[in-house]
Amino acid sequence: MIYPLYVERESILHSLDPRVKIIGTLAGIAAMMLYNDPAFLIPIFFIALISGRLLGKIEVSQQLRLLKPLTPIVVITLVIWPLIYEPRLKGLLFGISFSMRLLTFALLTFLLLMTTTQRDLILGFVKLGMPYEFGLTISIALRYIPTLYILTGNIMDAQKSRGWEVEKGNLFVRMKRMTAVLIPLLVASLKTAHELSIALESRAFGASKKRTFLHDIEMSGRDYAAILLVVLLFAAALYVRYGLGLGHVVIYG
Amino acid sequence: MIQVKNLWHVYENGKEALRGVDFEMGEEIVALVGQNGSGKTTLAKHLNGLLKPTEGRVIVDGMDTMEHTVAELSRIVGYVFQNPEHMFFEEDVFREVAFGPKNLGLSEEEVEERARWALRVVHLEGYEDRTPYSLSGGEKQRLAIACVLAMKPKYLILDEPTTGLDAKSSESVVGTIRELREAGHGILLITHDMELVLELAERVVLLHEGRKVFDGSVEDFFSLELHDYGLEVPEILRISERAGIGFVRNVNELIEAIVGGGR
Repeated sequence: MIYPLYVERESILHSLDPRVKIIGTLAGIAAMMLYNDPAFLIPIFFIALISGRLLGKIEVSQQLRLLKPLTPIVVITLVIWPLIYEPRLKGLLFGISFSMRLLTFALLTFLLLMTTTQRDLILGFVKLGMPYEFGLTISIALRYIPTLYILTGNIMDAQKSRGWEVEKGNLFVRMKRMTAVLIPLLVASLKTAHELSIALESRAFGASKKRTFLHDIEMSGRDYAAILLVVLLFAAALYVRYGLGLGHVVIYG
Repeated sequence: MIQVKNLWHVYENGKEALRGVDFEMGEEIVALVGQNGSGKTTLAKHLNGLLKPTEGRVIVDGMDTMEHTVAELSRIVGYVFQNPEHMFFEEDVFREVAFGPKNLGLSEEEVEERARWALRVVHLEGYEDRTPYSLSGGEKQRLAIACVLAMKPKYLILDEPTTGLDAKSSESVVGTIRELREAGHGILLITHDMELVLELAERVVLLHEGRKVFDGSVEDFFSLELHDYGLEVPEILRISERAGIGFVRNVNELIEAIVGGGR
């Protein structure tokens, strides 16, 4: 299943304020885009992996497992670069480094999701200025993915008990056959959504303009230190790139 | 005859839902009871092949469920799920009931005959053109039974058939179950409703943490310390016990015992 990505650990990354982690992730992704030199991109990926292990206490194998679904894109990158670029060996090197860049983007995002509970993540985004209704919509949607997954399983079991078989026949027959699952699923989902909206309104959702939170988050000294570190690292990244002129190579000369 | 031999089931997440269950049933009404998470549904889903044993064997009228698909087994073991709405997708009641027999590849006349028969058994004649979702709770439950019944299975598994129904609807479902039993079906009743067990069951099987802890008569079952298994003795049995009458099945028996004793 897709969700949850969160991994329970006691680590520095887990204890940081979600806002710090969100800004850190965005800064990290932005910094990655400054560089295109393999000598930078390849090490940065491994640095990200190791910092996930050291700061987030998340095993390297677990981080790599999440990156697995990206394999097709990585393979395509690795194949296409040497094909379109001369000299081919250098093309391969670019292929490797650009897939590394892609994987680093994904890894930074996953590290955020692995070290932040869904509740804190939404709260972080809301505190950073996202409308609360939007945050609630996302969190409800995520909350219902496992529920719908279980519901689909139940419906399929019920239809199988009536001799329904999805595996038989060609694509069109199968698609037509899926209506036996899709219609009950749709009806059940609509009913759930309707009940949910009644439940929300009966608890005075939207009654006051400014909300308070039961589980509030607050920036501590450590969080300010961390955000300062993020800013400094980002400034350093800018300096290395534009001040020293390193990390960028001309690909299309 | 359904035979379950030393059945173990371990889910993908490592949870041991069943730990060595032996179970047999024939043409009788068996109540399968136990707390939430005791393994009732897991056991029941093995009987028509929705789940396959991790260890042990399930044999339904001589067919090993490991070697047959759910579609094949559905001719022998019918499973009526708890929420009837989870199976309704056709535009009218008749087509809904005909869906199962159609899947069996029967002739059109046979499908039609079975659908009419199944609707008659659950007393839903005249509802053929209604939309399944427009029926009342009890009618939906009976329609769900008809949908499975139209496959003409010898055994029927009913998961919480009376939960959430008012007294009248519940009665109509109980009546249908009785008639099915008389017509020679074996019925497995998964339920938390102890009054239903008292009224309807011929035998009770109690599961606790994936093991069978009791298998015997209804009277013996209600003499167990049910509290230890998170179950409650029905009020009527407490009354009859205090009145010194002992085991009764329903209000009529209690009244008869009292009136009879008073004479």
